[in-house]
Amino acid sequence: MTKKKKPALTPLEREGKILGLYMTLPAQLLLLFVVAFPLCMQIYVSMTWWGPLDGVKWYYAYESLNWFGNYGEIFDDSKFWGSLGRTFLIVAVVVPIEFLLGLGLAMLFADKFPGKRIFYSIMLMPMMIVPAVAGYMFFMLFQSSGPINDILSAISGTRVDTAWLADPDLAMISVMIADIWQWTPLMFLILLAGMVGVPEDQMKAATLLGANAWHRFWRIVLPRMKTVMIIALVIRSVECFKIFDILYVMTGGGPGVATKSISVYILDLTFKDLDWAYVAAIGLFILICLSLIAFVGINRMQAAQKKAEA
Amino acid sequence: MPKPLHSYIWRYTLILIAVGLALLPVAWMATMAFKPHTEWVTTAADLHWWPEKETWGNFEYIFTGQTDAVSITHERTAGKPILASLVTSLLGTLIAVVAGTLGAYAVSRFKVAGNLPLGVLQLRLFPPMAVMIPVMIMWAFLGAMDTWWGLSLIYGIVTLPFAFWLMKTFFDEVPREIEEAALVEGCSWFRVFWKVTLPMVKAALASTALFVFILNWSDYIIALLLTRKDWVTIPVYMNSLSSAMSGQMYGAKAALGLIAALPPVVFGIAIQKYLVRGLTFGALKQ
Repeated sequence: MTKKKKPALTPLEREGKILGLYMTLPAQLLLLFVVAFPLCMQIYVSMTWWGPLDGVKWYYAYESLNWFGNYGEIFDDSKFWGSLGRTFLIVAVVVPIEFLLGLGLAMLFADKFPGKRIFYSIMLMPMMIVPAVAGYMFFMLFQSSGPINDILSAISGTRVDTAWLADPDLAMISVMIADIWQWTPLMFLILLAGMVGVPEDQMKAATLLGANAWHRFWRIVLPRMKTVMIIALVIRSVECFKIFDILYVMTGGGPGVATKSISVYILDLTFKDLDWAYVAAIGLFILICLSLIAFVGINRMQAAQKKAEA
Repeated sequence: MPKPLHSYIWRYTLILIAVGLALLPVAWMATMAFKPHTEWVTTAADLHWWPEKETWGNFEYIFTGQTDAVSITHERTAGKPILASLVTSLLGTLIAVVAGTLGAYAVSRFKVAGNLPLGVLQLRLFPPMAVMIPVMIMWAFLGAMDTWWGLSLIYGIVTLPFAFWLMKTFFDEVPREIEEAALVEGCSWFRVFWKVTLPMVKAALASTALFVFILNWSDYIIALLLTRKDWVTIPVYMNSLSSAMSGQMYGAKAALGLIAALPPVVFGIAIQKYLVRGLTFGALKQ
């Protein structure tokens, strides 16, 4: 972009700019108050040995400087890497399944049929349930004398008494199922919105030309839905990385550490170990990693866009 | 073009399976809420999907702390947590919507504060756990721990991105001509915003508020970190309902869960039209 000489503002524009600054003030103050200031604080605390029970106010934390010791500790912290690994595992399993189920559902709902509105509303319900409550629902369902085993018994004909939440692997699977139940509707909702955007006459023309459903989907719907799909996957991955409510209510991160996600690990450090300086360091570490990923992602997307335009 | 019958049969079968799976957990909790104490935990062979003897006892228990069949009394009833959830969610919504609406209008019209759109979006990227330490220190320092205003404030900030982005897409859609006409007639910019634009997006504003309310109401982790006793919200209270002494209070928790689940579901269905827009920060408009 070449630098243009700024045209003089008309009085009206001037008035607008000034009013605009006032209007953004509340939002800016909130950002300053909970983003900018705490970030500085977090950097400061993360370089000390400070903990809330030290009997020292946080601003005197410099009395026990640890410099980058906390950051070094992260690399030797196998529990941290374990939780991070489990979190990534959950994201890697759950998000694609939710995506495929959501896509399938969206295809079922793509055109009109009697009863669509009511079925649609019911399908959206899981994601509106308070996640902690959803966690409790699945906690009940997966009890060894609970309804899931009852259904499995009815299907298999033999008595099933699996203690889902007490077995490390099964607990992980249970948590994943709960998350899939709650968030498949989100994928469904977003993907359906993208599908509705495909012009109908294009589909009709293709049908007349003899394209079968599979071809229509593969050649017409899919290419048009690319952006929507990326949005759905990105949003869900970011949210899934934070997974806490459902998981914590269902298993509390257990049995042992079997379902301990990064959020649960940090919570334990905060309240059980009270090692707040270290928590601050871990938080910053995650922040930096996520920012890098987001930065690279945005850059790539912009590059792809430019390529598409050229 | 008429479709063959078998395609309908397939579709309805699949949809009914999906709907059934979506409803199953909700249905289990809803019936559990009306089961008497003796039916809370059963031996596997004796499992009932429908309460044998329906009762309101569970609701009685969470509101009064006692009921006939349950020997353990609970001194902390659900009244205060429900009030806490309501107050903090509503105030949080107010903060987010006011700050978000004003900011969104300014960014949409006057192209000021270029940092704001991405700045608020960042709020959404990071796990709350990773950034809560300084907030907890700050809140303790300000005496905001376990208070209604401390929790409301943080809710207002956490949901600000949604309010901001939703309102921005709505303002972007308002035709400029109407505003310009009012400006030509000598209205000030603020009057135009207040008297012309805002009334035009009234419905959108209401939807945004409901959407933000749902998000605040659904929070668990922030209340877990920033409240202790006086202002715990429903989800935190719910998890404290079981103890080593009482065991799992299945029915009571289910009753409370049902109460907690209702408002978001009702509101969510009311604002269905804008859900996609809200959840994708306006990237998709449906």
